[in-house]
Amino acid sequence: MIRFENASVTYPGGVHALRNLTLEIPDGQLMVIVGLSGAGKSTLIRAINGLVPLTEGDVTVDGVSVRHATPRELRQLRSKIGMIFQTFNLVNRTTVLNNVLMGRLHSAGTLRSLLGWYTPEDVEIAMQALERVGIVEKAYVRASNLSGGQQQRVGIARALAQEPKIILADEPVASLDPPTSHVVMRDLQRINRELGITTIVNLHFLDLAKVYGERIIGLRQGELVYDGTAAEADEHVFRDIYGRSLTADDLMGEAAPTPAAL
Amino acid sequence: MTAVTSPAGHRPARPRPSLAVPIGLVAFAALTWLSASEQFGIGFDLGDIIADIDNGAEIIAQLLSPNWEFLPRTFERMLETFQMAVLASFIGCAVALPVAFLASRVTAPNLPTFLLDRTVLSVVRAIPDILYAMVFVAAVGIGPLAGILALVFFNIGVVAKLLSETVDGVDTGPIEAARASGANRLQTVRWSVLPQVFPNYIAYSLYTFELNIRASTVIGIVGAGGIGVLLQTQYRFLAWSNVSVIIVELFAFVLLIEMLSIWLRRRLV
Repeated sequence: MIRFENASVTYPGGVHALRNLTLEIPDGQLMVIVGLSGAGKSTLIRAINGLVPLTEGDVTVDGVSVRHATPRELRQLRSKIGMIFQTFNLVNRTTVLNNVLMGRLHSAGTLRSLLGWYTPEDVEIAMQALERVGIVEKAYVRASNLSGGQQQRVGIARALAQEPKIILADEPVASLDPPTSHVVMRDLQRINRELGITTIVNLHFLDLAKVYGERIIGLRQGELVYDGTAAEADEHVFRDIYGRSLTADDLMGEAAPTPAAL
Repeated sequence: MTAVTSPAGHRPARPRPSLAVPIGLVAFAALTWLSASEQFGIGFDLGDIIADIDNGAEIIAQLLSPNWEFLPRTFERMLETFQMAVLASFIGCAVALPVAFLASRVTAPNLPTFLLDRTVLSVVRAIPDILYAMVFVAAVGIGPLAGILALVFFNIGVVAKLLSETVDGVDTGPIEAARASGANRLQTVRWSVLPQVFPNYIAYSLYTFELNIRASTVIGIVGAGGIGVLLQTQYRFLAWSNVSVIIVELFAFVLLIEMLSIWLRRRLV
């Protein structure tokens, strides 16, 4: 379970990215965070694995405080939390397998991992992760030779290779076209259901949020303004979260958004 | 034509051109003239070339007729130069790798380490190769060891500088990904940064190997081993036709290495 207790993040320069957030995310949930750019979605996600430190309050993951963890404890905590990024964050100049094996670094000894001597077990875990997202045949291909959708699946495989309890996905489909976005979202949904991994996803397309989110929370200027099921989140709710009427740009649609899609 | 009325506001006035360039050019010209003048500078006079032309012509004539019988006598020293360059490149580039990572903001563990490493690196680079050679000849005696040590320092300076600047420009996304997965600092550098800069590292290493062959002439002159030692003695004897053999040989050798490294680099990137 992830618990935010009066958590706030103020960046140097005075921007309040997160304001006094109290939130509980039970194990196994697929939660979608929506909100405008700059509403604090990325900050919320990065507070969970300590990439962004809190300035007030605390986040606990399975009872362990992120804010008060030592560097070693923090690495241990992060090893149980996989992360997926908008721009994939793969190393383009190396193979898909080497990218996925990054997810095994936390358990490999430093010397072994520096030399690239991964154990057969680690390689097996990485291969299984690639199988789960359906691109194991690309294992020895350079990451730069894959399409965007394939690269994001490598990103998911890298997170899975950690054998995580939690997956954080920061705008995982923002760099992808609509059909590919659905493929990636379905992968995340399937992983959440089959493996029971708590999954937290930032999205800015409201229709995607409604389709895939078990629970939706809305952020506005760093504050929690909505917390409920996908079914309850209607147009009025989104209008409240966004602070304005919805436009075609807020929906992904099946193809490119057009005014008719509204 | 009618004026375009747009809500974008009006066009800005053209900013006044900067005077920095003309002022800089004038200052540079003045400095050049002062440096060349008899009164304030070194007394640069093209007429001296004409006046001493006979002297020069004789040397040039000898240089243009290389004494090829001398060639076999250069082989031993040339091999020594090659071996010194190999050893110095290997050690220098190996040491430069961690030094470069500590000299980049992206990979340095903290600010004091970064600043210390940068400072040391600046000092290492500020000292010319011949000065290293002189110091090491004094410290460990005449011979290739002094030369290797001099080249090692020279190589660390070059490779660490170039590589740290390459590291500054890497994509930081994979670094965030590695940190988020619970990898420690060394693992992050190894798997997120090194693959990104590795082709450059190899290119810089080949480049320093080339530089080492060239530099061996200079450091040999102060007694630090290699072909430079032979060059020095032949020069002392004014045996210009022998000097010319060494020059041609070095030229061919450097050209060969350069072609080889271009071929290798193309294969790597």
